[in-house]
Amino acid sequence: MSASLLDPPPHISPQTALYLSQQAPHILKSSPTSSLPWPLSLLFTSETPETWAVHENLLLSCLRTGDDKSARLCLDRMIARFGDDNERMMALKGMYEEATAVDKAGLEKVLKEYEKILAADPTNMAVRKRRIALLRSMSRPADAIAGLVELVDSSPTDAEAWAELSDLYVSQNMHAQAIFSLEEVLLITPNAWNVHARMGELLYLSATASASGATLKGITESMRRFCRSIELCDDYLRGYYGLKLTTQRLLSLLSTHPKPSHATTDPTVGDLAAPSIVTVQKLHELATTKLAEIIRRGSSKEAGWSGYDQAELIAARELLDRDAQKIER
Amino acid sequence: MAQPVVQTIHRDPALFYWILLPITVVMILTGILRHYAMILLQSAPKKQILPQIRQQRSLMRGINLRTNANVLSPSSFQMRKAYMVSAYHEGKFLADPDARGKPRPNPMSDPAMMEGMMGMMKGNVAMMVPQTLIMGWINAFFSGFVIMKLPFPLTPQFKSMLQSGVGTRDLDVRWVSSLSWYFLTLFGLQPVYNFILGSNNSASQVTQQMSQMNPGAGMMGPEQDPDKLFLSEAENLEVIEHRWILEGVEDRLLAKLAL
Repeated sequence: MSASLLDPPPHISPQTALYLSQQAPHILKSSPTSSLPWPLSLLFTSETPETWAVHENLLLSCLRTGDDKSARLCLDRMIARFGDDNERMMALKGMYEEATAVDKAGLEKVLKEYEKILAADPTNMAVRKRRIALLRSMSRPADAIAGLVELVDSSPTDAEAWAELSDLYVSQNMHAQAIFSLEEVLLITPNAWNVHARMGELLYLSATASASGATLKGITESMRRFCRSIELCDDYLRGYYGLKLTTQRLLSLLSTHPKPSHATTDPTVGDLAAPSIVTVQKLHELATTKLAEIIRRGSSKEAGWSGYDQAELIAARELLDRDAQKIER
Repeated sequence: MAQPVVQTIHRDPALFYWILLPITVVMILTGILRHYAMILLQSAPKKQILPQIRQQRSLMRGINLRTNANVLSPSSFQMRKAYMVSAYHEGKFLADPDARGKPRPNPMSDPAMMEGMMGMMKGNVAMMVPQTLIMGWINAFFSGFVIMKLPFPLTPQFKSMLQSGVGTRDLDVRWVSSLSWYFLTLFGLQPVYNFILGSNNSASQVTQQMSQMNPGAGMMGPEQDPDKLFLSEAENLEVIEHRWILEGVEDRLLAKLAL
């Protein structure tokens, strides 16, 4: 529980969120802005940029844990400081209203509000994203996708938007579009190992769903994506999990197609040939040993190995167990 | 060889309290004042309209594609390249497609451009006015004083730097005149401002002048024609050599984590 409000982890577990929001009374007790008149207030204020980062994160945590009163207080303070027409404040205010809306009609009202803001100022990216998030949570994915496509058209360097778009496409089973969007994310952040791994997952999904001719190619690329993600981040559990899964699949595929290496190569586009069965075998062994090591060390919380998500560790163990059973049989 | 005669000048200690100290304090205070004046004078950056944002970010997208092309598979790279190049050639991303091919308007007639120039003017004025005033003040009150002696010897080249306003040929270089002290503080107070105001201050003129050397140095300065930028980016995209990063990644990985 070393999470701080200033720099919270990207994925906040429920316990952490609760812990963070419980700091609300302590933070809200002291006012950051001084109540003295203007020239004196400059001298006696304790305000720093960090103050407002803390307030924003506190607001988010409070909304999540249902402490709406503290959230309102945070919001009021930030609005008093930055004004009603600040883009970020508009988005945060909308978020508060979304969280406190009791029924669908309330959400519709918030949505109308967003559309009004956007009509007045179409460059307000924060509110635009809120609108899309709201559409998604109201289970209107088609509208959300339309909004996102419009957003990435006017702002194609927004990795967050592309990633969200890819996620939405996956939820609609549109794998080709999802992969395209994720490739855009990779173009913006070429060394993001999690995006590489996610790409591998998508390729695996689409390959298993597609016809048998494209399966081998898809799985091969998926495996290479996982390799890349491990290359970028040592001991990346998700990467090894995917690597094991794909190599297992590849082994069975390659054994049924004895001579695949030249058939799938298309020299015009220069796509890569399928790897040799020996390499895949080796990679499979590597993934298995590495996964076993990560599970052993991660669940015994050895120093330097404690960062793994419990659920992911359990899933990885389950994968290994499944493998072991197959051998026994 | 006899030692050169050490010059001794008996200075009134009041010189220290009434000249050296006031000049230093005044210089520091003007720097701080200038910093806050600049903050006040700064106009908020003008909001871009959506087509302009689109134009700029589309160019960024092309650059991203060019620099990070190796994360893509050859087929998807070719597809993207073909799309971007044709879109660039057609001017699909231009904020103002009608202005394509026309010469740039005179910057003086463009109100947005004028605003930028006004901003620069303001900075210049905020820099020049106090400098002139203080220079005049120093000249009127404190010129011709020798106010301190440096504790280390110097070569005669420093004479013009350290003894401006004191027209004596034989005075040792180590003596510093009041006017020179002014110049020294003018150029040498940056660390003091950094200490007082934080590192990103606009108190010193020297940094001011530096930043004015390249006004509007940005990705897409107002002076550049976006269409030209797009065309040159299209050309860059055409010629890059694509190599897929996933090529041989499994062998690299195996070699790295040798089993």
